[in-house]
This record gives sequence, structure tokens and C-alpha cells, in this order.
Amino acid sequence: MTDGTTARARHGAAALTGLVLGLLALGPGLARGFLLSYDMVAVPRQPLTALTFGLTGTLPRHVPSDAFVAALSAVLPGDLVQKALLLAVFVLGCAGAAALVPTRRALPRLAAGVCYVWNPYVAERLVLGHWALLLGYAALPWAVAAASTEGTRRVVRALVPAAIGGFAAMAVAGLPAVAVAACAPGDRKRRARAVAGAVAVVAALSLPWLVTGWLRPSGVPGAPSAVDAFAPRADTPFGALGSLLLTGGAWNAEVVPQGYGTGVPVFCWALLVLVSLAAFAARMRRTDRPAWAFGLSAAAVAGFGAAAFGVVAAPALKRLIEVWSGFAVLRDGQQYTAPLVLVIAVGAGLAADALVRLVRPRERDAPAGGVAVMVAVMVAVLPVVLLPSLALGAGGRLRPVEYPDGWDTAREIVRTDPVPGDVVVLPWATYRSYPWNGGRTSLDALPRYLDRRVVTRDAVVVGSTTVPAEDPVARRLDPVVAGGGPLVPALRAAGVRYVALDAETGPDAPWRARLAGAEPVLPGPALALYRIPDPARPDEARAPLVPTVMSWIVMVSLIAWSFVTRGTTVTRHISRIPRRGRAP
Amino acid sequence: MRTAIAAIAGTLLALAAAVSVVHYTNASQESPVIKPLYNYGSR
Repeated sequence: MTDGTTARARHGAAALTGLVLGLLALGPGLARGFLLSYDMVAVPRQPLTALTFGLTGTLPRHVPSDAFVAALSAVLPGDLVQKALLLAVFVLGCAGAAALVPTRRALPRLAAGVCYVWNPYVAERLVLGHWALLLGYAALPWAVAAASTEGTRRVVRALVPAAIGGFAAMAVAGLPAVAVAACAPGDRKRRARAVAGAVAVVAALSLPWLVTGWLRPSGVPGAPSAVDAFAPRADTPFGALGSLLLTGGAWNAEVVPQGYGTGVPVFCWALLVLVSLAAFAARMRRTDRPAWAFGLSAAAVAGFGAAAFGVVAAPALKRLIEVWSGFAVLRDGQQYTAPLVLVIAVGAGLAADALVRLVRPRERDAPAGGVAVMVAVMVAVLPVVLLPSLALGAGGRLRPVEYPDGWDTAREIVRTDPVPGDVVVLPWATYRSYPWNGGRTSLDALPRYLDRRVVTRDAVVVGSTTVPAEDPVARRLDPVVAGGGPLVPALRAAGVRYVALDAETGPDAPWRARLAGAEPVLPGPALALYRIPDPARPDEARAPLVPTVMSWIVMVSLIAWSFVTRGTTVTRHISRIPRRGRAP
Repeated sequence: MRTAIAAIAGTLLALAAAVSVVHYTNASQESPVIKPLYNYGSR
């Protein structure tokens, strides 16, 4: 085989391994139906609305990921789109991390790939439903590799999944790419050019959410009170910082993989992490370290620092948010440890490589070669062995469900009504534990299910802390809806056409008594819909349309430009690794 | 030496697998926690 064919075969093996791990992790979740878990909501056919593009008053956290899903779900069933995106995280992540390990041996590289997609970070974020963030996580190794070489097009291509994911995805993939460009070897002029290119690419690919976020009429709310709610927490005996180092520590206790964080396995996992970090550090001290090594290390340290900030300096972070609400992005800091996870994964690959070198036979045809293979396989499967609760739909937490009867009818009623007006969802909260979803927590699905502006109270409750609502329409309606009086006059004046009840829908539900004057058009039981006659015209201040359209044009044009070239592989760096010894 | 390393690694892996699966099985049999209906999560 030629070098190129060999390289492709290796990437193929890593991608296949990622696919197998994805299939194993999702397990029964791959059956037909929709996975609704915390922030992950999939619907049969997501409409393209003003909300999709971040033009309403809500913060554009779902931009442009929702638009991507809506576009795909126009040609494919929504549940298949969801599963394909989740599997892509495993395939891209595994192949990317494997490609970064500076060895020609396949198994140590697979060990890195397995470690990168099978760890507490992935498990916790997967259950939290942060698939868009995980797209950026999967793009990170590719972005690191691309940023260490000259070539803006490669950086753009590598960051496409992060661009789809939006803010969080770009933060975990784009910023490390800038760090890698800044620390790449070469003269100052070359580095400056690389940094400028990387910054320009990250900024251009971020425009759709940057523009709508900055030009949002109601500004960016900070809510310092949420610092404690979303700070990393200890999910191991090693405290919050130790848990972050072990790639876990997400704020929500409910998403910790079952059985993780206690007993012997967590000590074994800690040992694996420490050995991996030591292997990476040892490689850093060699002169033939990869060009991206310093940049990735700097990103890992910075990411860990950002995550730790909410733990060790919560009052300072609150103060910073009071000064400028943009610092609120540091509240859920655990997500920024993605570069550290990549360092650990590459370190695991390097450790496996060192172990293989230790046990491999010196003679080419010696029969003991099988021992080296066996040792490498053992290291590769160790993350799966130590974290079995990620398997089979994250231990049963990801189970597909179908929307109950009535949801489709409601969508058709709303879609075919020529009278404009918003939809208000009751009960007045944005998270649900639908009985038909096994009581699992999920974001209310109606804002993505209906093709109108849907208003939910987007204040979130974490334990005993309530993080205030961000949507200005929800804030304006809050005194009325949260009070006990009749709803229809106030909702009519606010431009609300429909009220949807998708929980507490029984005939004696207190909400129904407050809807006197509204016409029941769908009785329930899974979803009840009321129509309010003659609503006022909705008057919501929105992000301006022209800059938003321009931002999309720039982003799409940049991506198109990056692919209009020969040789679109983002793994060219692998073929440059000098051949040393025999691969197991 | 190589065989010894392989044997030790294999034994450790088997032990880790056994302990890990038993641990996971025990954890999954704990009583479910009743969660508030509209909460995002808990700490």
C-alpha cells in the first residue's frame, strides 16, 4: 500500500472504532424515536422560524445548530438526523484524536481515540443533551492539527462541525486552534500570520450567533446568582478540581454516569489519567514533539483554569458578571476542559505506544508480537471497562420515544391558522418531565415543534436556585402568568394567539380555570390547545435582519470557499510522521 | 519479561472489568430519586 492508502486505512480504522463506540454508547437509543434528554430535543420536522436564527429575544444558544437540524430534517426524518449527529461525534472525535498521536502504530492511536470519546466528559455532556457542544469537541483534534500547519482553508474545514454547533462548540474548538497557531514553531512573522488567520476564521464562523447575540435588543443578561448553580461539582472523591482533572465535574448531579466516582474504578481511572498526563509531558520534553503540542497544552491549562474559576473564585466571577454580563459564559466552566481531555487522550495513546515498545519483540517475525498487540488492546479498551455506564444509551438514560397523539394535530392547527400571534406554553416553566418520556428531564419541545414564536418561561431551576428568565417576552408576561388571575385578557393584549398545555393537562388542572374566554381547540390529554380570539399583533423587539443575513452569507461563503480546493483531507500531517519500528 | 507484563496487564484488566461491572450493577439498583417536575437539575 502507498503511504496515502495506509494513512486512509488507519483513519478508517479509527473512524470505524468511533462508530462502534457510538453504537455501543447509544445502544437502544438508536431505535426509531426521539431522544429527549435535558437540553437535547428532537422533533419530527423542525421548522425554520425566527427563533431558529436567533432573531427573537432569546439568547442565540441554538444558533446555528437548530438551523442545521431544521435543514436536514426537511429531507430526512428528525430522529435519524439526531442519531446521525450523535454518531458523528463519536466517529469524528475518535478518528481525530487517534490521528494526533505521533506514532505509526495503529493500536496506540486507537487507544487515544477510545479515550477521547469514552470518558466522563462525553458521558455527562451527552446525557445533558449538549450535542452541539460535542460537535465542537469532536472537531477539536482536527482543528488542533489544522492550526499547526499553514493553511487557512484547512482550519475552516476542521472547524465546520464547531461552526454548526455554535457558541460553546466554537469556544472548545476554535479558541484552542488560535492557541495552537500562536505557539506553532516558526518565525514571528509566520506565527502572526497564522494567528491572524485562525482568529479571522473563528470570528467569521461565529458570526451568526455573535451578531444576533450582540444586537439582541434586550442585551445579554448575566445573572450572577447562576454561578453557584452551574459551577463544576465534585463527582469523585477528589473534590471539584480533581473531578475536573478526571474529565468529569459537570454541574448537574443527575447526569453523572451510574457507578462513576466511587470505589475502585475511579481510582483506576485516576491512575490512567495521571499516567496519560505523564506520557504527554514526557513527549513535550522531546525535541520531536508535535507542532501543536505547546498550543494544545496552553489551551488545556487555560480551559482547566476557566473551569476552576467558578470553583475557587466564585465571588470574583459574580463580581465580573456584574461588571460585564459577557463573563457569564464562564459559569458552566466544565465544558472548557475539552482540550485537557484531548491531552489526556493523546497521552493515553503515547502511554500505550511506550508499553508496546517495551514488550514488542526485537525480531520482525518473533511470535511474541501477539503480546504487544494484546497489551495495546488492553490499554485501548480500558476506558470502556472503567466506565461501562456510558454503554447502552448511557445506562438507559437515552431512550427513544414518540410524541403522543395530539402533538401533530396541534402543529397543524397552529400552522394553518392565518391569524398571527404567539404561542404560550403552560405550565409556566421550560423544562419538563413528560410521563411519556419516562419522566426524564428535557427541555420543552414545543418551541421546536411549532412554526410560530413559542414563549416559555425560560427561567431555570437548579435545586433551590432559580436563574432568572432571559427572554424579554417571558419576563414581561411573568407577573401575569405566575399570578393567579385570568390569563386571556393579558395574553390577548400581548399578542398571544394560542395557549398550549403539555403537562398537568387533566380536566381539573388549575391552568384550565384561568383560561376562560379562550376557545379549546384540542382537548388533550397529552397536549391541550386553547385559541385566543382577536389577539393584538405581537410587538417584539428583534435582532436586526440585515446584519443577521450578512453574517450567514459570510459564514456559508467561507465554508464553501474552504472546500473549493484540491485535497480536502485534514489529516495530511499524519503521513509526515517518520517511520520508526514495526507497528503492532 | 514480555509475557509477565502481558499476564499482569491482563489480570489487572480482568479485575478492573469485574469490579467495574459489579460496581455499576450495584449502583443501578439504588432507589430512584423523585425529582421535581420542572427543574433543570440538581447539585
